[in-house]
Amino acid sequence: MPVKKFLLTFDPDLVSEPITFRMVKDFDLMINILRAEVDENGGRLMLALEGSGPQIQKAVKYLEDVGVAVQELKEYIRKDDAKCTNCGMCISICPVTAYQVDKKTWKVVFLNEKCIACGMCIDACPLGAIKLRAQA
Amino acid sequence: MKRTYEEINQKIQKGDAVVLTAEEIIEVVEREGIERATKEVDVVTTGTFGAMCSSGAFLNFGHSEPPMKMIKVWLNDVPAYAGLAAVDAYLGATEPREDGSIEYGGANVIEELVAGKAVRLRATSYGTDCYPRKDIDTFVSLKTLNQAYMYNPRNAYQNYGVATNSSERTLYTYMGKLLPRYGNATYSSAGQLSPLLNDPQLRTIGIGTRIFLGGAHGFVSWEGTQFKTNAAVLNGVPTGASRTLAVIGDLKEMSTEYVRAVSFNKYGLSLAVGIGIPIPILDEDMMRCVSIRDEQIFAPILDYAVQSRTKTPIREVSYAELRSGSIDINGKKVKTSALSSYYKARQIAEEVKKQVMNGEFLLTQLVQGLPAEKVQKPLELHTREEVE
Repeated sequence: MPVKKFLLTFDPDLVSEPITFRMVKDFDLMINILRAEVDENGGRLMLALEGSGPQIQKAVKYLEDVGVAVQELKEYIRKDDAKCTNCGMCISICPVTAYQVDKKTWKVVFLNEKCIACGMCIDACPLGAIKLRAQA
Repeated sequence: MKRTYEEINQKIQKGDAVVLTAEEIIEVVEREGIERATKEVDVVTTGTFGAMCSSGAFLNFGHSEPPMKMIKVWLNDVPAYAGLAAVDAYLGATEPREDGSIEYGGANVIEELVAGKAVRLRATSYGTDCYPRKDIDTFVSLKTLNQAYMYNPRNAYQNYGVATNSSERTLYTYMGKLLPRYGNATYSSAGQLSPLLNDPQLRTIGIGTRIFLGGAHGFVSWEGTQFKTNAAVLNGVPTGASRTLAVIGDLKEMSTEYVRAVSFNKYGLSLAVGIGIPIPILDEDMMRCVSIRDEQIFAPILDYAVQSRTKTPIREVSYAELRSGSIDINGKKVKTSALSSYYKARQIAEEVKKQVMNGEFLLTQLVQGLPAEKVQKPLELHTREEVE
C-alpha cells in the first residue's frame, strides 16, 4: 500500500473536527501522526497516510471540503552531497533511521521515504549540508 | 627483521615500495601473521578527518603604500590576532565574526581562502613615524598573500572520549547535538585508521615528520597542546584522550576537500582538518602496532550533562561497537554518530598510499621525539605566591 505524507493546516474552529477519526473510519486509511501542534491560531498536523491511491485522494478531497489546507510532503529536507563529509552526525539524531551509513563505502545516505519531516537533523549537521527543501 | 628509513625511501623512489592502509593491513596480518607481513610490507598509511578546534593560519599581507603597522585586523569581519610584526596576523579557526554570530568565523575564512576566494581585509592603527597609515579596507586572497600557512597547536588527538547526555534537555556541544535521556552518543576518532593510534608510543612520529595536512604536505612541528602520556593503556593503545600534534603546512597547497569549516549549533565553530601519516614498518613491533583494529581500541563514555572537567566514565566502549551504529548504556540501546568522517579518513589514507607508491611522498626520520612522559595539568585558582 502506498504511503503519502501530508501537512494539514487548519483554522481554530476546525480544531474540534475529528478529522483523523473520519479518515480511518470513512476512508479506511492507516494513519501515523508525525507531528501535531495546536494553538490559538489553529493547528498543524503532519500525517503519513497509508492506503490505496483512490482512498487517499478521497480523503484529501474531504479535508479540503471541510476547509483544511492540505500540502503533500514529497521531499521535506535535502542533503547537499557537495557539503556533506559523510561524518554521520545526522545518523543518531534521526528518530526513524532515514540516514544510514553504507558500511562498504562509509557514505551517509538519506532515505527520503523514511523521513517524517521532524527537522531535528537540520541544526545537527556541522557542515550545514542539511536544509529545508524550501531553502535548498 | 629490521628495515631502515633509507631502505624504505630507496624503494619508494624506485616505485617498489609495498604500501597498504591501516585498514588493509589488518586482514594481511590476520592471514599471514606479523612476521610475514613485516617482510612483505614497507609502509602503512593512516588518515583522519575531523573537527580540530585548535587550528588557524599565519598570514602576511604585504606592505601598503604608505605602510601601516596593523594593530586591529579583521578578515570578512572576523578578528585576527595582529600583535605581531606590522603586517602579520594569526587567524584562529574558532574566532567568531564580530557581529555576535557564532555561525561564521575564522574557520569559514580559512576555507574561503583555501577555495581561492577573495577575503575582505580591514585594519586600523594608531600610526607611527615609520608606519604612518591608520586604516585600510581592501581584498586579499591566497594569490596576494606572501605567506599563508596553517599552524595548528593541537590536532590529531590520539583517541577521544565518547559523548552522551543523561539530562532532560538537549545539549549543544562541541561533540554535536546530544539528545536528552541518553538519546544518542557521539565519538570522534578514526579508530583503527587514526594516525596516533597506529604508532601509540610515537616511535616514528615526532618533530620534523612529513605528514599529509589538509591536502598539502606539512610537518609535525611540536607536541600538541594538552599532550599527555599517562592515560590508561589497553591492547597497547590509550583508552582515552592522550597524545596530540602541533602541525604546520602551506595553506596555498591545501584543498577544501580536506579543510572545511564546521559549525556546531549553539556551540560555535571549528575546522575539520584532514591529516594522514605514513608509518614505516621498521620491524615487527611496528607491524604489530599498525595492525590494531577497532575491536581492540576503547574509549570512555562520558556524560556531558556533568558540567565539570572531571567526568567519571560510564564505561569503556570499543570502536567496533561504536561503529556498529548503537552502543549499550545502562541497558539502553543508544544510537551512535561519528563526528570524524571514516569515509574521509579512508580517502586520506588511500591518497597518502597513492603518493608513497608514486614516489611523491618520502618518509622522514624524526628530528626529535615528542615527550615520553607528560601529564596534563588543570587550571586552578592560585595566588601569585603559589605559582612562583
